[in-house]
Amino acid sequence: MTVLDQTHSRRRFLQLTGAVGATAALGGVLQACNVIGGGGAATTGTFNWMTWSDHWIQSQLDKIATDTKISTAIQELAGNAEGYAKLKEVKGQLDKMSGDAMWVPNAYAKDGLIEPFDINELKVSTQLYSFAREFPYWQSSEGYMAYPFGWSPIMIYYDPAKVSGGPTDWQVLLDPKYKGRVVVENQPEEIVAYMARAAGFDKPYDLTDDQLTTVKGYLEKLKPNILKFAQQATDSVAAMVSGEAWLITGNLGNEDRVKDGGGPEIKGYVPSEGTVGWHDGEMIVKEGANKALIKPFLEQSQQAELIAENFLANGRPLFNEKAYKLLTDQGKQDQADRYLYSKAPDVLPTMVLKGPGTSTDKSIQLFNEVFGGG
Amino acid sequence: MAKSVDPLETMPVSRYAGLTRWGLRVVFALLVLFLYLPIVFMVAFSFDESSTPGLPIQGPTLHWYDVMIHNRQLLTAVGNTVSVSLIVSVLATVIGTMAAFVLVRGRLRFPNGIRIIFTLPIMVPGVLIGIALLVFFSRAFHANLSLMTVIAGQLVVTVPFVVLIVASRLQSFDRKLEWAAADLGASPRRTLRHVVLPLIAPAILAGALICITLSIDEFVITWFTVGNQPTLPTYIYTKVKFGVTPEVNAVGTVMLFATLLIFGIAGLALGRSRRSPARRRAAPPA
Amino acid sequence: MTAEVVTGVEAAPVAVVSRGRSARLRELAPFIPAALLLGILFFLPLGVMFIFSLWTTNANLDIVPVWNLDNYAQFFNSSAYVRTLGKTVIMGAAVTAICLVIAVAVAYFLARYISRRWARLALLVIIVPFWSSYLLRVYSWQAILGEKGALNQLLVGLGLIAEPSRLFVYNDIGTFIVLTYVYMPFAILVLYASLERFDYTQLTAAQDLGASPSRAFRYILLPQIRPGLITAAIFVFIPILGEFLTPSMVGGASGLLIANLIQTFFKNALVPQGAALGFLIVAFVTVLLVVFRKYLRVEDVYARG
Repeated sequence: MTVLDQTHSRRRFLQLTGAVGATAALGGVLQACNVIGGGGAATTGTFNWMTWSDHWIQSQLDKIATDTKISTAIQELAGNAEGYAKLKEVKGQLDKMSGDAMWVPNAYAKDGLIEPFDINELKVSTQLYSFAREFPYWQSSEGYMAYPFGWSPIMIYYDPAKVSGGPTDWQVLLDPKYKGRVVVENQPEEIVAYMARAAGFDKPYDLTDDQLTTVKGYLEKLKPNILKFAQQATDSVAAMVSGEAWLITGNLGNEDRVKDGGGPEIKGYVPSEGTVGWHDGEMIVKEGANKALIKPFLEQSQQAELIAENFLANGRPLFNEKAYKLLTDQGKQDQADRYLYSKAPDVLPTMVLKGPGTSTDKSIQLFNEVFGGG
Repeated sequence: MAKSVDPLETMPVSRYAGLTRWGLRVVFALLVLFLYLPIVFMVAFSFDESSTPGLPIQGPTLHWYDVMIHNRQLLTAVGNTVSVSLIVSVLATVIGTMAAFVLVRGRLRFPNGIRIIFTLPIMVPGVLIGIALLVFFSRAFHANLSLMTVIAGQLVVTVPFVVLIVASRLQSFDRKLEWAAADLGASPRRTLRHVVLPLIAPAILAGALICITLSIDEFVITWFTVGNQPTLPTYIYTKVKFGVTPEVNAVGTVMLFATLLIFGIAGLALGRSRRSPARRRAAPPA
Repeated sequence: MTAEVVTGVEAAPVAVVSRGRSARLRELAPFIPAALLLGILFFLPLGVMFIFSLWTTNANLDIVPVWNLDNYAQFFNSSAYVRTLGKTVIMGAAVTAICLVIAVAVAYFLARYISRRWARLALLVIIVPFWSSYLLRVYSWQAILGEKGALNQLLVGLGLIAEPSRLFVYNDIGTFIVLTYVYMPFAILVLYASLERFDYTQLTAAQDLGASPSRAFRYILLPQIRPGLITAAIFVFIPILGEFLTPSMVGGASGLLIANLIQTFFKNALVPQGAALGFLIVAFVTVLLVVFRKYLRVEDVYARG
């Protein structure tokens, strides 16, 4: 009897604790759920922004919120395709969307999800490089599709102590000498695109069947060289730092990251056959409930001082020209030049911008064929 | 007498018993070592100066803990994740246990078929469920995405675990105990509360713990069904372009020690009993 | 008298044996929340996905209602899918086997030799590491198993191998180790719940009757924890068929499993293709469960009294 009573009171206690805990948790959740603010036409309030983690810095957002009473609720992007899928469904629950170059016209704009605007209307746009205001693929009859932000080509990095001969092209990745020493990102369509560029094809996302067959051969040569697929940039950097990998692909800035991690001095280059890359921008969601807040927000958030700070924090070039001058004044021109900050007009033409293409389906099938089954 | 274990329980059944017991102790110790090995590294990397995890460790430094404390997005994410996990685990345990009772005792027409149906959510790739729910919530319910939709989505994949584990325990439940209680005059409800539930408590506890584990690191379904609320998994897994930095390790370390501390305190608070619970097993109540 | 006993066996004291419809409804009521949950939030949305899987995407990434079976046919067009599925099944079976063996040992230890309070604490100690980010734990495994990792440093330091081995990670061995790590606690929790109620005096009785420990184990213990073993096997094997993160991070270039191939479609907004592949896997596992239902069916061990 005593034992059952004991159980009884212990259970009571647990029930009580559980109930209190659950209620507290529920309260917390309900409070967090509050709002997908119905802002209205006011010029203050909160808007919802889905973006990459490197597009914002908390202290900058706080300052803008204090100065202009415009605050933002961030949702993190997992990938272009996922973001597109989500925006298609949630529509008005988002106000601002970040996206990569070719996704803007080929996915967002053509579905009428975003609202192009007159970029010259924004005073801060004069701080941009002029070519950034005139990307032909972002122009439409209704205006400019997105406000440009940052860019990077895909580079190849190597450890000169282990990789001799100062490579300059994609072919080095296929060299059997480097079996198990290459790390590429876990992005199947990009891996196919790299090999397409290695084979000399101009349109890695719009391959013909013959071209796909050629690329297959390249992929089969690449496969034994790959050590692992990098889930995030950290993976590639860690592999270089530990010396497990001698060659990696990635965005700009990996030399600094590897050095910072205690690794060797590595060199990076843009492959001579041409590469792929991305640049991104901020889009206004057409059905966004708070979209009126976005232009005033952009006027603040795209100012050169903030962009310069962002560059130093995240390490990839941006399209704000005035920020380059600020960085030079701060004595950081060296670093900016290493990151090709002012070289966009030279580098952008060599890179094919990532985005949905006509051969995506077949490319994925090709990847699965080559890499599936062990 | 109160402290000792019933001798009938641990009487050796063979001459290898002592060896077996030591062998099992070694296995247990090795297992705990195996499970905590990566955790030791996770904690160590939180003190590493470099922003890339890897040996050798430079430092140590408390820099990342400082970054963590000032990272509002991260802290909000942790709070949201903990709340959601608790709610999901409580709800899933309740819903799943109730369903398990009916599955085992409700004389359903196709119990094995229904069991296979409950296994389906475990089989389906999470990304499929996530996209399906996104489309469904938006188009069928016109619902605003929020932590509520996240909870609903996570319930879909956690309830089956509870149902299966509680049902399997119920299946080998000795009904004689319930008849005995009925013989002694207990109503079905009392029997349920004081006999059945306490005896299947380990299964319910296991189910609840599994739910928390599944929910705390659930990324795919959560990403597709969340609104503008950050959660820890979405914070971590979306750092694709530039990678996570060790303040996430710092968060993990803090969460680990906080949880162990809470359990330690709870264990001490609840365990204050004179009679050792081991006596309750098999041997009839004194 | 006998009639009453039979009635008692048929129905739990919890349920009232009555032929009335409202009584039946009351009996089934606790099932309703779960049924609603699965019905509305699982079957309906996935039904929509199933329809999508029979459609196709155009060049603009829109899902267009062009009925076709191409998405399903692609599975058979290339041997890679079948081979990968086979590899995944083998990997799943291997991980399940070792998880069950170790989990039985650990759960037996906790259930039999440790008092209940400490056993529950041990369970918590076992599960708490898994309440941290999976990504961080896998990064740690990379640091342990890698070429310059802790394991290699230990082995070289002890003189067991001459130079660091690249055998431990970025291949199937790495996948095997990490998957075992990830699913072990589930198996332990399930088997503990099963072993905790076992009457260990039966083993004493068996010894009295002359059985050796291994015979007692095989013919007395195992059959009675069969429901637990089956549930644990389900909790380990089936989710492994959906694992894509582990193989991509520690499996190396040749380590992709079937869920990776599905993921590649979804990462490129090719929903119908990915959905079709996903449903094929579901069909495959369902067929497995139906074929093996004889082994899965667990009789009410005690109900007959």
